[in-house]
Amino acid sequence: MAGSSNEYNLLLPLLPVLLVVPALYVSGMESYDAAFLIVIAPFIAFPTILIAGQLYNGNETWKNKMKEGGIIGLAALLVSLSVSVWILIEYLAEIHHFSGQQVTSWIEWISFEVLQSDYTMSSKRVIGVGVWIDPVTLMLLFVATFLCFLICWFSLGYMNTDPINEGRNHRFYAEFVLFAMGMFGMVLADNFLWLFIFWEIMGLCSYLLIGFYFWKESAAYAAKKAFLTTRVGDVFLMVGLLILYDIYGSLEFSVIFADPSLNGAVDSDKLFWALLMLFVGAVGKSAQFPLHVWLPDAMEGPTPVSALIHAATMVNAGLYLVARMVPFVDVGHHGVAGLEELGLIVAYIGGFTAFMAASIAFVQNDIKKVLAYSTMSQLAYIFTGLGSALWFYNHGEHHAATFVFGASMFHLFNHAMAKGMLFMASGSVIHEVHHAHDHLRGEGHDHEDFDPQDMRNMGGLASKMPVTSTAMMIGSMSIIGIPLVGGFWSKEGIIAETWLAALEHEPLMIGPAILILLTAGMTGFYMSRMWFMTFAGEPKHDVVNHVHESTPWIKEPLVILAVISSLGGFILTLFGVIDYLSGEYDHLALHKPSILEAIAYELEHAFLPQNPNLRIIGWATILLSFIIGPIFAARVHGGGLAEGHRASPMVAWLTSLSGMFGSQDATELSQSSLSEALQNRLYFDYYYELALSKTVLPFAAFAAWFDKTVIDGIIKKVASNSVLGSLEIRRVTTGRASDYILMIAVGALSIFALAWGVSG
Amino acid sequence: MGGEWLILTILSLLPIAIGLALMALPNILPEELSKQISGVTRNICMGVALALLAISTWAAATSLGDINWMKINFGGYELENTPFDIIPQIGVSWHVGADALSLPMIWLTALVVPLSMLVEWDAKKGQYFHPLLLVMEGAMIGVFVSLDLFVFYVFWEMTLIPMFFLILVWGGEDRRYAAMKFFIYTFTASVVMLIGILVMYFNTGSSISERSFDMMAMLDSGGQMSEGLRHLVWVLLLIGFATKMPSVPVHTWLPDAHVQAPTAGSMILAGVMLKMGAYGFLRVAVTAFPESTVVFTPLLVVLGMASLVYGAWVCMGQTNLKRMVAYSSVSHMGLIFLGIATMQPLGIAGALFMMFAHGIISPLLFAVAGAFKHHYHTLEIGSMRGIAHHSPWLAGHMMLGWMASLGLPLMAGFVAEVAVMIAFWMTFGWLVLLPALTLVITAVYYLTSMQRTIFESNDPHRGVLPDTLHHEPRDITWHENAGMTILGVLTVLFGILPFFFWDMMSYWSTEFMVQLLSEAMQSEGVRP
Repeated sequence: MAGSSNEYNLLLPLLPVLLVVPALYVSGMESYDAAFLIVIAPFIAFPTILIAGQLYNGNETWKNKMKEGGIIGLAALLVSLSVSVWILIEYLAEIHHFSGQQVTSWIEWISFEVLQSDYTMSSKRVIGVGVWIDPVTLMLLFVATFLCFLICWFSLGYMNTDPINEGRNHRFYAEFVLFAMGMFGMVLADNFLWLFIFWEIMGLCSYLLIGFYFWKESAAYAAKKAFLTTRVGDVFLMVGLLILYDIYGSLEFSVIFADPSLNGAVDSDKLFWALLMLFVGAVGKSAQFPLHVWLPDAMEGPTPVSALIHAATMVNAGLYLVARMVPFVDVGHHGVAGLEELGLIVAYIGGFTAFMAASIAFVQNDIKKVLAYSTMSQLAYIFTGLGSALWFYNHGEHHAATFVFGASMFHLFNHAMAKGMLFMASGSVIHEVHHAHDHLRGEGHDHEDFDPQDMRNMGGLASKMPVTSTAMMIGSMSIIGIPLVGGFWSKEGIIAETWLAALEHEPLMIGPAILILLTAGMTGFYMSRMWFMTFAGEPKHDVVNHVHESTPWIKEPLVILAVISSLGGFILTLFGVIDYLSGEYDHLALHKPSILEAIAYELEHAFLPQNPNLRIIGWATILLSFIIGPIFAARVHGGGLAEGHRASPMVAWLTSLSGMFGSQDATELSQSSLSEALQNRLYFDYYYELALSKTVLPFAAFAAWFDKTVIDGIIKKVASNSVLGSLEIRRVTTGRASDYILMIAVGALSIFALAWGVSG
Repeated sequence: MGGEWLILTILSLLPIAIGLALMALPNILPEELSKQISGVTRNICMGVALALLAISTWAAATSLGDINWMKINFGGYELENTPFDIIPQIGVSWHVGADALSLPMIWLTALVVPLSMLVEWDAKKGQYFHPLLLVMEGAMIGVFVSLDLFVFYVFWEMTLIPMFFLILVWGGEDRRYAAMKFFIYTFTASVVMLIGILVMYFNTGSSISERSFDMMAMLDSGGQMSEGLRHLVWVLLLIGFATKMPSVPVHTWLPDAHVQAPTAGSMILAGVMLKMGAYGFLRVAVTAFPESTVVFTPLLVVLGMASLVYGAWVCMGQTNLKRMVAYSSVSHMGLIFLGIATMQPLGIAGALFMMFAHGIISPLLFAVAGAFKHHYHTLEIGSMRGIAHHSPWLAGHMMLGWMASLGLPLMAGFVAEVAVMIAFWMTFGWLVLLPALTLVITAVYYLTSMQRTIFESNDPHRGVLPDTLHHEPRDITWHENAGMTILGVLTVLFGILPFFFWDMMSYWSTEFMVQLLSEAMQSEGVRP
C-alpha cells in the first residue's frame, strides 16, 4: 500500500461538484425543485461508469486515477448528498414557512380515462412523477444520501485493494449508484406507484450486488433467493396498490392523504386488505418473518453491499412504506376507523421476528451473519413500534401514537447509522484479516479452508485495530441501547409504548411487548458476544498477529459514523426529533428555555417517567440489555488481551472489564439440539426449499411434458388424420413454390364457395 | 404537402417490390452483372430498410403536417388515401390508413427489420436472405395499413411465405419439420379466419355489385347478420387471430418455429408477426362485433389467463434457452387478451402498449439467444456456466433483456403490465392474484436460466464451456452489440417516458370504448 497517502488527491476533481448547489441557489432555484438532481445524478452515472468500465478496462488511468469508476460514483453521490443537505437545511431552519409537507409534480407519466359504472367516462386521470417532502422523507433522504456517500468512500479502499475485484469494480460502482438512485427515488416519490417503481429498482440492484461474485455458486444462489423472496412480497404490494387505486382513483399521496376516509365512504374491509397487502410487501423487503430467509444469505455480496443494502438503506424501504400507512388509520385526521387489527398484525410480526432473529444471532460465528440477524431483529423492533403506532392512531390515542411513531422513525435513523458503521467496521476486520492471511500464505503457511469472516479465527484484535474496535464498540452500544448512547433514546420509547398499549389498552399487545423486552436482553448478549469474540481475549489464530489497520479510505467513514452514533441520539433528542418526525413540531429546535433544562427534562423522561409502569419497564430494559446480556457474553467470550498487547484507551477498559466476570464454558450448551436448530436457522430455509423442490419443479416439468405430449400431440394427431393436412404435407414436401400458390388458390376458392353457402 | 397519402403505400409496397426485384434480377441479368448485384444485395436491403425507418419515424413524429398523432382517436384514420379500385367486380380496393392502433406497429416493423439485419450482418446467408426480410417487412406493414380486408388477407398470407423460407433454408437441424408445422398450422388457422371474413363480405350487400371488402362496409355487415351468426363469425376470426398471437391451446407451432428459425427470423417473428394476431383481433373482430366481444369476455379471460399462467409454468420446465424465450412470448401475449377483457380504456391501452413493448423486448431476447447459438453453438441451459467471464457484453444484454421481460419497472414492459393489472382489478377484483403471482414464476425461470448460463462457474476467471465449443470463447461482435444496445436503450426509454406512444394509445382506447364497447356493454347488460 505504498504511496497510499497520496490517494486523497484523487478527490480533487470532486471539488467542482460542491459548487452545484451554490450555483443553483444563486440562479434562484428552489431547493425542492432541485430535488430531481438527487435521482438524476446517480442515474446518469450508472451507464457512464458501466460503459466506460467496459471500454477502459485495464487502462492505468482508469484503474488508478478513476478508481475503476469509484470517483465518478462518488461525484454523483456527492451531488445527491449536497442537494439533499440543501433541502434539509432549508426546511430545518425554516427558511420556507412550510408546514407538514411539500409536493411538486413534474410530468404526467401516463394518463387515461376510466369507464364508470354508469357507462360514462371519468375525467382524465394522471399518474405523474413528482416529489413529496415531509419530515420522514427528510430523515430518510439524509440517511440514504449520507450513508451511500460514506459507503462509496469506504468502497474505494475496500474494493479496489482486493485483487480479485480488479477489472470488475466498474460493475460494482455502477450497480451501487443505480441502487442509490432507487433508494433516493423511493424516498422522494410523491405517489405509491413511483414508490413501487424505485422499490423494484432496488430489488434489481440488490440482486446484482449480492451476485457480484457471480461465479460463486453460493453468491449466484443467494442473489436469486433475495430477488425471488422479495418479489413475492412485491407482488402483494402491487396488488395492494391496485386496491388503493380502485378505492381512491389515484395513487398520489397528496390526494389520498387529504382525506383517506373519503368522508366516511371508504369500505374499511377493502382498505384493510389493501394495507395488509402493502404490509406483505414491506415484510419481504425488510426481511421479516416469514419472508426473512434472504437476508442472511445476502451477506454473500461484498461487505460494502451489506452495509449499504442490508443495513443502512434498502431494508428501511419496508419501514418507510409502513410509516406511510399512518394517515389511513389516523382517526384524528380523516383516518378510517376499525383497522386496529392491522396494528396488531404488524406488531406481532415485528415482535416474533425480533425474538427469532436475536436467538439465531446467538450462535452465529460469521461476523457478518451476526450483523445480518441483528439487522433483522432491529428492523423488527421498528415494525413493532410502528404496529403500536398504527394501533394507537386508530384508537384515537394521538399522543401515545405520535410518540411511538417518532421513536420508531428515530430508531430507524439510529439503527441505520450504527449498522452502516458496524458493517463497514466488520468489513475492515475481514479485509485486514484476509490481507494478513494472504501475507502469511505468501510465507508458506497453508490455510486452504481459512475463513476470514469466522470470529473463531479472530480474538484480541483490539490491540491491532484501534479505530475499528472503537467504532464497533460504539456501534454495538448504540444497537444494544446502552443508556445515553444512540439507539437508547429510540428503543426505550418503542418498548415503553408497546407495553403501555398492552397494559392499559389492548391485552393482545402483550405478546409483542414481552418478546421485544426479552429481545433487548438478547441483543445485549449477541452484540457483546460479537465484540468480545472479535476484539477481546487472546488471539485464536496466528493470522491475528499480522493484522494491520492500514488500508486508506476505510477509517474516515468509521470515525464520522462513530461520532454520530455516540452523540447523535442524545443531541437530536434534545432538539425534539421524535416529535418532529411524527409531525408534532414544525422544525428541529430546542423546545426548552435552555439547554440544561432540555437535558434535565429528557433525562427525567428517560429514566424516571411519571407513569410507574413505564418506570418499571424502562429499568427492566436497561437491566436486561445493559447488565445481564453483556455480562453473560463476557463470561463466555470475554477476556483480557494477551501479554504484551495493549488496546487503545477507548476500548482498553472494555477488554479488561470483560475479563473480570470469570469464564464459563459453553461447549455443552452449543451442542444442544436447540443450538443446532438455531445454527440451522430454525430450518426455515430447509423446509422452504424442500417444499419448492417438491412442488414447483415437478409441476413445471409436468407442464413442459404436458405441452409437448398432450397439446402438441393432439394437434399433430388432428393434422396427420385430416385429409387436408396430409394433402398439404405431400404438396409442401415437393418444395416447389408454385405448389403453394396453387394450394392457396384452390383453398381460397373452396372457402369462398363455403362461405357463400353459409351466408347465403 | 399533397403526397402524404402515398407514405403508407410506399411503406408497404416498396420493400416488396425491391425485395422481389433483388431476388429475380440475378436470374435474369447476365452473369457478370448479377454477381455485382448479389455482392451489394445486403447493403441495398439495409439501405431500403433504413429509409423506411426514416420515413416511418418522420410519419410518426408529431411535426408531420397538422396531424396531432399524440391525440389520434379510434375511427379517425390519418394518411388515408382515396380508395382505388383493384378488382371492382367483387369490391376490392387499395385503401390504406393509419391510426393509433397501427401507427406504433408500423414504426415497430420498420425498426425491427433493419435491426434484425444488423444483428446478423456478418452471417453468410447468400443473396436471398435479405430480400426475403424486405418482402416480409412490406407484407407486415401491409397488414397494418390496409383498410380493405381482401388486401389485408393477402398481406396476411404473404407474410407466411418469406418466413417459411427463412426457417426452411436458414434454420437449425430440424428446420424442415418446423417450417412445415409453422406453415400448415398458421395457414389452417388463417383459412378459418378467411371463412369469417367472407361471411362478413357476403353480408355487406345483397348483390355482388353492392358488396365490398372495404373495412367500413365490412364493419357494418354485422347489422345484417343474426346474433348466432355474429357469434360464429367472431369465433372464426378469434381462431385465426389467436393462433397467430399465439394463445393457448393453439400455440405449439411457436416454440418449434422459433427454435429452428435463424436469429433474424425469430426477432421478426416474435417482435412483429405475433402482434398481427392481436392487431387483427382488435381491428376486425372487436371492431365489427363489439357485442360478441362483450358476450365472450369470459372466454377471453380464460384464454388470456391460460396463456399467461400455463405459459409461464411451461417456460419453467424448458431446458432450451430459445424455447424458453418462445414460451415466454406465449405467456406475455396472454396479457393482451386480459387487457381487452377488462373492458376499460386503461386495460386496452395497456394491451396496446404490451404489443409495442413486447415488440422491442422480445427481439432483444431472441438476439441474445441467437448470440449464444452463434458463439457457443448450443442453447441448452446448463451446458455452460460463467459465460459472463468471457462475454460480458452478452451477459449485460441478457441481464437487461431478461429483466425487461420479467416486468421490471423503468422498462417498457412494466408500463403495460401495471396498466393491465390496474384495469383488471377494477373489473375482476381478486382474480388479479393469478396474473400477479405469475410475475413470480416469470422471475423464477428467467433468473434460473441466467444463473445456469452466465453465472456460477466456481472459477473467478473462467467459465465452464459447452462441449460444442472448439475454439476460444469470445464476446459478441460489434453489430450484434449495436443491435442489442439499440433495443435495450429503446426499452428503457419507453419505460421511463412511455407517453410517446401511450398518449395516442390511451386516446384511441377511450374512443374505442365510447364509440363501440360501452354501447355494446349497455345493450348486453354488462356493468363496467
